[in-house]
Amino acid sequence: MNLKTINIAHIHLISLYWSRFAVRSGSGLVYLMIALVFGLSVAHIIIMPVEQFMALQKKQMGQANPQLVKKTITDIGQPIIQFVLGIKSLEQIAKEAALPQFPLPNDTSNTTQSGNNTPGFDPWTNFLLDKKPALLSSIFLILIFGMPFVISFLAFNQISGDVQNHGLRYLLLRTERCNIFFGRFIGTVLFSTVVMAIIVATITFYLGMKTRIYPATDLAVWAVQGFLALAILMVPYISVCSLISASVNSPFLSLILAKVAIAGVLLIAILGSFAWKPAKYLLYALPWGWQNNLLHPATSHWVIAVFASLAYTAFFLTLGYIRFETRDL
Amino acid sequence: MNEEKRPGGLTALAVINFIFSGWGLIGLIGLAALFAFIGKIPTDDMQEAQKAQIVAFQNMGLPVFIIIFLLSILSSVLLLLSGIGYLKQKKFLGRTIGNLYGVISIISSVVSGILFSSDLGGGFNIMTMVGLIYPVLTLILLNTTFKEDLTN
Repeated sequence: MNLKTINIAHIHLISLYWSRFAVRSGSGLVYLMIALVFGLSVAHIIIMPVEQFMALQKKQMGQANPQLVKKTITDIGQPIIQFVLGIKSLEQIAKEAALPQFPLPNDTSNTTQSGNNTPGFDPWTNFLLDKKPALLSSIFLILIFGMPFVISFLAFNQISGDVQNHGLRYLLLRTERCNIFFGRFIGTVLFSTVVMAIIVATITFYLGMKTRIYPATDLAVWAVQGFLALAILMVPYISVCSLISASVNSPFLSLILAKVAIAGVLLIAILGSFAWKPAKYLLYALPWGWQNNLLHPATSHWVIAVFASLAYTAFFLTLGYIRFETRDL
Repeated sequence: MNEEKRPGGLTALAVINFIFSGWGLIGLIGLAALFAFIGKIPTDDMQEAQKAQIVAFQNMGLPVFIIIFLLSILSSVLLLLSGIGYLKQKKFLGRTIGNLYGVISIISSVVSGILFSSDLGGGFNIMTMVGLIYPVLTLILLNTTFKEDLTN
């Protein structure tokens, strides 16, 4: 390793150029399209039934009842969120009472109850569904699960393409390997962060302007937290792609390996745990095992999750850098 | 000719154009078939929401259908032509037709939102924004990132 050659000005220049070049090279464009369509489609799937319910309320009662809408979202979301967070298994949820359906809009008996009366709430589910805008929480949970699959479309070709066509040799006349490696990593992170900001801002703006069931301040504050969680979560996955991209010569192989590594860890852990329980700990090879903690109400939990993200990033980046520094180009 | 210097993003844009154009044309066939047979669909056993969609489609009227149909055909054809233009890095076929597609597609989304009833997904909803992503991206990229690449 030769970190003495790190030059902040070079890294700054390379990262800015790389984040702009991402669109021009195609990978950034494809990622932008997939991420935007995925993010907004998830939002549509979550928000559409609520809009239909509110429209039905307006048709039958003359106006929508935000309290009843919130209560219904909480009732329906509770078992799903508890399953997603690993608080309850499918069997436990199935054993509990049958899922509550959307109540009739003219049934106002529930409107006076607050969500806090719902029995069996754990603090985390309560925080996501009651304390914070539940629709936004649900969207964030799906994005936290889904975005790691998408990020490799952006990050797969940080190094491998230029190794394959020997383009790096020309760049190495002007700067050192460490500046290229870390500059491109930072450029990819910048691009990913901007895309996350666009997705979260669009969804929050729509929720605030169209549904109007949550106060704007609550939405804005939770949107910022959710955006930070998503932006931070992407960093270790990008570093995994950096490691793979620095290790192979073909961009296509790099993409395939990144997909297999990110999805494979999750798949093997889940399927393996059916046969052998401890296989579930394989989830911790990547952030899968703890990434939901980025949305945890307890400060200690999300701070540890943030530090874990940084630790994973440092680990994968170090491996990637060692490989890149020592390989034949 | 600077075809060999074509950036990967422009190739990706062309491929996406061809895919969306194909989807659009297939969708048009489906739309025409639906409009032709809409009166014959039995609605007795349907749920209320599905029934409302069928009724809204039946009430849409021929002029509205023709407007939507023509705008969709135009968008698909412009996508196809501009895709070829991107690959050949042509100024008119790529940049001009691509920009025209962006504008027509945005107008098409807005008109569909206004003319379609809410039962048919009309009005302003989050899918309207999904529909606007690609034309807006096309307009931005053709006039910034790829501005100097479409010069033949």
